[in-house]
Amino acid sequence: MIDQFTDVVPSFFGMLNQGPLTLTIFLHTVIVLPMFWIYASEKKKLNK
Amino acid sequence: MLTSIKSNHLTSSGQRLGMMYFRVAIILFGAQLLMGLIAAIQFIYPAFLFELFDFSVARMVHINALVVWMLYAMIGATYYMLSDETEHEGVAIGLGKLAFWVLTLAVTIVVLVYIFIQIGPGKESTIWLINEGREYIEAPRWADIGIVVVVLIFYWNVFATYLAGKKTGIMTVMVANLLALAGLYLAGMFFTDNISMDQFWWWWVIHLWVEATWEVFVGTLAAYALIKIIGAKREVVEMWLWIEVLMLFGSGILGLGHHYFWIGTPEYWWEIGALFSALEPVPLIAMFVHVLYDWGKEQGINGEKPAINNGPAMAWLVTNAFGNFLGAGIWGFFHTLPQVNIYTHGTQFTAAHGHLSFFGAYATILIGTMYLGLQGAYGVKQMKATFNSKMGLFLSTFGVLGMGVALTIAGYEQVLVERAELGAGWNAFFVAQDLPWYVQAQLWRAIMGVVTLLGFVYLVLDLLTIGKKARAAEA
Amino acid sequence: MAKENLSVWTSIPFWRRSAAWVTGFASILLIWLTFDTMGQISMGTEADLAKGITKRVPAPTVINYHIDYKMSEKRGHEVPVIGKKQPFFGKEWSEKEAAALLHLGKLTSQAKNCMNCHTLLGNGAYYAPDLTKAWLDPAWQKSGAMQAMTGKNTVEEAMAEFLQHPSQYPTHARMMPNLDITAEEAKGLVAFLKHMSSIDTNGFPRNFSKTVDQFKNGGTNAH
Repeated sequence: MIDQFTDVVPSFFGMLNQGPLTLTIFLHTVIVLPMFWIYASEKKKLNK
Repeated sequence: MLTSIKSNHLTSSGQRLGMMYFRVAIILFGAQLLMGLIAAIQFIYPAFLFELFDFSVARMVHINALVVWMLYAMIGATYYMLSDETEHEGVAIGLGKLAFWVLTLAVTIVVLVYIFIQIGPGKESTIWLINEGREYIEAPRWADIGIVVVVLIFYWNVFATYLAGKKTGIMTVMVANLLALAGLYLAGMFFTDNISMDQFWWWWVIHLWVEATWEVFVGTLAAYALIKIIGAKREVVEMWLWIEVLMLFGSGILGLGHHYFWIGTPEYWWEIGALFSALEPVPLIAMFVHVLYDWGKEQGINGEKPAINNGPAMAWLVTNAFGNFLGAGIWGFFHTLPQVNIYTHGTQFTAAHGHLSFFGAYATILIGTMYLGLQGAYGVKQMKATFNSKMGLFLSTFGVLGMGVALTIAGYEQVLVERAELGAGWNAFFVAQDLPWYVQAQLWRAIMGVVTLLGFVYLVLDLLTIGKKARAAEA
Repeated sequence: MAKENLSVWTSIPFWRRSAAWVTGFASILLIWLTFDTMGQISMGTEADLAKGITKRVPAPTVINYHIDYKMSEKRGHEVPVIGKKQPFFGKEWSEKEAAALLHLGKLTSQAKNCMNCHTLLGNGAYYAPDLTKAWLDPAWQKSGAMQAMTGKNTVEEAMAEFLQHPSQYPTHARMMPNLDITAEEAKGLVAFLKHMSSIDTNGFPRNFSKTVDQFKNGGTNAH
């Protein structure tokens, strides 16, 4: 699952890049997750 | 369009300044097409103007005229909608006018130097005075600094007017987006010996312009135009605008990674560039749906009175919705994955995408805005498309589409033969360039270029006459 | 009835806040990534080269070394391989000299507008061959067509000669125009090209060594 590190220099993003789409899925997740919180808080506001 | 200089029904000086920008934009558009035609002919007859007006010169003026006419039209469009949206006259339109003349003078000098001096010795003075030799942002450093000053005046005008006037959602997006758009130019204003570093920052300007801030600009323009032309509901339009901003910036900012596959940058950009930029078409589909949906909806509601008050502007807007999705979205997606891009990078594929997307995403909507401007300038309530408007739209769209298809075929040949079969290199390049099918495609590109130019002639003819005709019809 | 207005999906504040969050956070990520990449693509030093430390963009003194481009099992694509020392224009260049020469070359590449016909690292115009690995191109090597045509004995001299008088050496109907490149500028440009060929481009252009192999085996690879 975890591939051997291939890039020239190891770095934080390079490490995350060792599996299938792991880096990009991680980045997408951290961008999208807080939107659930925004959704919930807007919902609360609307219900008031 | 010319008559509108004399008999002007626009009460706002900001809108009149917008029209001045439109006029220069359309002239530069013409220059772009002529230069493109020279370059297209040189692909077929390399001896054409050899060592007199080489391909590099024609191509440089071709793409610079493109960038500059679009920026002119964008500044014009901003000035045009500024007073309308904020319900404020504009804080320093007089200064804005001065900036317009300074910018136009600078652009004229830069173009003349490109054409007559062309290149210089390998010294700092060349990149300060003649050209910087960096695709799209070749403007010499003195002009860079001048552009920054002029843009600061422009931005001050927009920002201060926004603060002083009514703050609509459209203007909020506009003001924030323009700040990013203008600020990004600074990333392209330095010299380095390191070509990887050079291209890294160069893409900050080019990509974050055309695949992020310019696209958001188009979103705001479309929102404004929909309200103006078909009386779309502001709340609906503004909600869509925020969705578009979310998706455009969400995919476009990190989508920058698709330019960092092969320029010396780390391998992790493969993943970032691939998936973020693969999502870039999504907002373009959203925009397409949004425009068509509103169009259909508003037409159904307004029973007796005609729903569209500006035929040609609406036609260009719909062409934009479609062209943006097709040219930028589909053609971009074609070669955005690294697995594909390692073969297509630096081939005519890129040129095909460039032609379709710049026209589809930007030229169309900017021309549509010019029609909006004309409607205002002549004080026409109902502007109908004339024969010339239809020919202008049809021929230029058909021409660009034809060029895009021809270049895609050329690119396909090049990818398979030069890159896959022969393994790149000097010899592989020329073998691919001499393939009969490649040569044929280049011929078709030139023919379709002429068709585009013909469409442009109709367009200019229409812009010059439609206002007067519509006014006469209403009187 | 009131329920319809309660949907978050049609509320402007929800989309506005989401847009602000996504834009802001994506920008922060980009800035972070930029810092990380900056570190990796800044030029190496002569000490790196001497110790055999691989840098994505080596020091200008890489022009003193033999450069190759080979398939790497580990990376899964071709990578530049920096080998033994090799004279460049008949001498070894000091750090200062090499840096000055590369500076002149890069400056000249911009002043002569190379990018509006050629591609560099795949970016530019598509009217002339890609220059990313031009230094390694078989056409310029011993018994390659271009070197033979210029009558020179080394890659660098052949390239410099061609750059100064390109239209004297036509190979196709499409020719490179004369750009008034001086002998010094030509040297700089060749140094720039050699340096560029040593940059780790993650395997672009792919299959380049295939051309080289065919060339070595005496194949013309053209027909």
